[in-house]
Amino acid sequence: MTTMTRRELLKTSAAAGLVLGVPARVSAQSKEPLPIGTLCPLTGAGGSYGPDMQRAVVAVVERINKAGGIAGRSIQLFHEDDQTNAEAGVRAARKLIDVNKVVAIVSTWASAVTLAVKPLCVEAKVFLIGVSGADAVTQGDHKGYVARTQPNTNLQGRMYAKFAVTKKEWKRVAYLALQTPYARSFGDAFTGIVKAAGATITDDLIYEDKKPSYRSEVTRVLATNPDLIMLEGYTPDSVVMVKEIYKAGYKGAILAPSFAINAKFIEGVGADVAEGVWNMDRAPLFDSPAYKEFSAAVPRADQSPYAPQAWDQMSIVALALAAGKGEVSGTVIKDHLRTVANPPGTAAYSYAEGARLLGEGKKINYEGASGSCDFDAIGDILSAPFAVQQVRKGKSELVQVINP
Amino acid sequence: MPPIVQYVFNGVVTGGILALPAVAFSLLWRLLRFPNFAVSTYLTVGAYVGLMLNHDAHAPIQLAWLGALVATGAVALAVDRIAFRPMRARRPFSLAIASIGVAFVLENVVRFVWGNDFRSYDVPVMRATSIAGLRVGRDQLLILGAAVVMMAAAQMFLLRTRLGIAMRATADNALLAAVKGVPTERVIAYATLGGGALAGGAGVFLGLDASIDPLMGGGLIISVFAAAILGGVGSAPGALAGALIVGVMEEVGTLLIPPTYKTAIGFTVILAVLLVRPTGLAGARA
Amino acid sequence: MIAYLTAIATLVGVRALLTLGLNVQWGLTGLVNLGAVAFFAVGAYTSALLAVGGTPLLLAWPAGVGVAAAAAAALAMVALRLREDYLAIVTLGFGEVLRLFLLNEAWLTGGANGVTAIPRPMHARFSAHYDVFYLLVVLAAVALVYVVLERLRRSPFGRVLRAIREDETVAAVAGKPVFRFKVQAFALGSAVAGLAGILFAHYLAYIEPNMFLPQESLFVWLALILGGSGNNRGALVGSIVLLGLLEGSRFAKDVIPFLTGVRLAAAQQMLVGVVLVVLMIRRPEGLLPEKPGSD
Repeated sequence: MTTMTRRELLKTSAAAGLVLGVPARVSAQSKEPLPIGTLCPLTGAGGSYGPDMQRAVVAVVERINKAGGIAGRSIQLFHEDDQTNAEAGVRAARKLIDVNKVVAIVSTWASAVTLAVKPLCVEAKVFLIGVSGADAVTQGDHKGYVARTQPNTNLQGRMYAKFAVTKKEWKRVAYLALQTPYARSFGDAFTGIVKAAGATITDDLIYEDKKPSYRSEVTRVLATNPDLIMLEGYTPDSVVMVKEIYKAGYKGAILAPSFAINAKFIEGVGADVAEGVWNMDRAPLFDSPAYKEFSAAVPRADQSPYAPQAWDQMSIVALALAAGKGEVSGTVIKDHLRTVANPPGTAAYSYAEGARLLGEGKKINYEGASGSCDFDAIGDILSAPFAVQQVRKGKSELVQVINP
Repeated sequence: MPPIVQYVFNGVVTGGILALPAVAFSLLWRLLRFPNFAVSTYLTVGAYVGLMLNHDAHAPIQLAWLGALVATGAVALAVDRIAFRPMRARRPFSLAIASIGVAFVLENVVRFVWGNDFRSYDVPVMRATSIAGLRVGRDQLLILGAAVVMMAAAQMFLLRTRLGIAMRATADNALLAAVKGVPTERVIAYATLGGGALAGGAGVFLGLDASIDPLMGGGLIISVFAAAILGGVGSAPGALAGALIVGVMEEVGTLLIPPTYKTAIGFTVILAVLLVRPTGLAGARA
Repeated sequence: MIAYLTAIATLVGVRALLTLGLNVQWGLTGLVNLGAVAFFAVGAYTSALLAVGGTPLLLAWPAGVGVAAAAAAALAMVALRLREDYLAIVTLGFGEVLRLFLLNEAWLTGGANGVTAIPRPMHARFSAHYDVFYLLVVLAAVALVYVVLERLRRSPFGRVLRAIREDETVAAVAGKPVFRFKVQAFALGSAVAGLAGILFAHYLAYIEPNMFLPQESLFVWLALILGGSGNNRGALVGSIVLLGLLEGSRFAKDVIPFLTGVRLAAAQQMLVGVVLVVLMIRRPEGLLPEKPGSD
């Protein structure tokens, strides 16, 4: 049996290390490119969401670069996989910040990753923007370097409840949620209002991720005879849950987030099972030019709940940089974030439009694919209308809009 | 019928699916002298082969299942040839570690080809029927039935056929069996084919029952490992019993403790059983 | 680049400690511990929660190590009554149960939200080059533990442990209280893991349950085997090589343009698996094999 000698082994590893350690080649440009990083979950628990988010960011940057970049500089994207793991996320962020020298990290997903990476970004004055929902993301002293395009969970819980109480026939309500950092805060906000309106909370159950069978959880919840099941999970576990609920013979209503009840969900459970499932989310401006441009540019990404947000995040970061008049850094983004995204101002539905208006000296208000994108002082999205949909004949149809 | 019966039934179905890879894992452990952690990834492979046949090639699910059996057996055999055969004489520990590497590779090959999205078979979802107050799904019964048949076939094979007897002889004492003329490598090949097929079939069942994704098999490895040890390594009936116990305990446990501690139940049961009977239920014949 | 390398080096140091701890259990005593991550977590959470609650670090850190050691001793006393195969699954199970506990008992552990704003030692004084300071702290810890463990290996205590690894029955016949020694080895290894956890928690200033998945235990094993099963130098080398492999592949993709997204990530992980299998086939003793009879 042949074995490599230690010397051979060490030699090959050293050689490999040398080759692999070579930093990325900088493309030949007349001006230095502008480095921006993406940190999406390409593997791990969030692995089904990351790829589309990354694609959305790439699409925006392609458009910007084709039109000449920002102040003549091309954006260079550096992509990293956080593996939906905080430690891996920290290593990846360190590389983006220190080696690639990015001025912003966009499109983070998992709250744990965002929370772990936050101190690094704040310290290095790199702007961080993602979709993570946990309350702690925008709390604490982050000096304005953190923002998110996803409404915080307390607000979400209240809006869902606001809709639920309009249905008088939903007197017995069960809360069924996936174990996440915000399952509890959403649940408390939701059940609190529903209970105050006179309904009975028949069960409150948080389930573990990635189990092959949820039969017993479903059995337990259905034994309490609810009229409505508020199911707060992601697409993968919602598919398994709703199938199981259907198989168990449940004839009542299900309410879930639209980011879970998307086209992939409907395909996964089949139109029959998905029929009648209520779903809500912050109302994307479906008719807006931003959304149209987004769905044309990123095919099939309307199946992804976060891709429109990633699109907006990149566009807003680019606009904030454009407003910085040549200077480029995380601090510039922080300083101009709200001036380009919040009202008052002329509505701009894309980077191209916004950049043009900025060039004319106008004050703009970016209106994006995922929504109005107006940020409050700590980086949260200001309250926004929520769209209520119901799955009918294999497609989610808009039923009503709930205003804050 | 008291509600606990429903939970027991649910557990029996879950345990039935778990039993297939558990039996494969347990028997292969005995025969090859190391725990092959790639077995639960064979499950994933089987599920995806089934998906290809059922969803892309529009084959009926039964045909897809058969295809999965054959393909997964072949994959298991290939893995054995490439990774394990060069190490036949090595310490079990090295082989176990290598099997973990194989599991990594297989899971990521699947991810490379199909991505991370959750997929489902093209099979209509059916509402359950009520039999004497017990909620029973038609597909649950089918899966349970098929699992029982597979298990019975495996046990028949081991007890009655020449190859099966040769397998048990090699498992008991490889040197002696070889001296007596049992073709060791051929025995291992067939055992690997069979074990792979069992796991692959279970993968299709799991995909039908829940959902298909690259992590589906890997998530079960702890339960499979536990069931095998619980039943006594090397005993097929033991692995079956172990799997059923683990399945039932996990389902019934949700009555008493929060469902988020489900995994803990399995381990507690195993610990309890092993404290009382360290060689497992059937008693290891090692 | 310097800050990046400093960060990686710090994490390598933490992993090296974990691997050294596992080496006491497996390399020295032959105990199969598949739940190394559990005591890593116990140390991290104990110290973090105490520190966030106001306990000075001078007390919180030793408390973390102490709790990890005590918990490990308790587990060992129960688990070591079982056969070797079963110690593996008990430790694996304990790791998972602990993670579920951390996830669900939010009143104590912060649940899925984790523990934020963990105070860092002497942050005010060294704020300018804090990362370098912290790296030095970690390196000092690694050096100290290494020296202590090497001493231990050569000591009578270490010889007994190795005798137990080779043949338990003989050691017992020779009059050694095998059970007690095994518990001590397990507790010691876990105490080192707890220390690693403390350094980890106070470095990231944030911990949450999913940082302590069962597969982390697997990576510790990988590092130990890669470096040279069963010896302390190997533990260090293995940690460096493993993290180097994981991080190196990150740079590879900046140079290899045709793989993107999920495909690339899958390819990276596939590489780890392939390396593992090849290593086991071609060079199972690892990079720095233990010299027989080294004393």
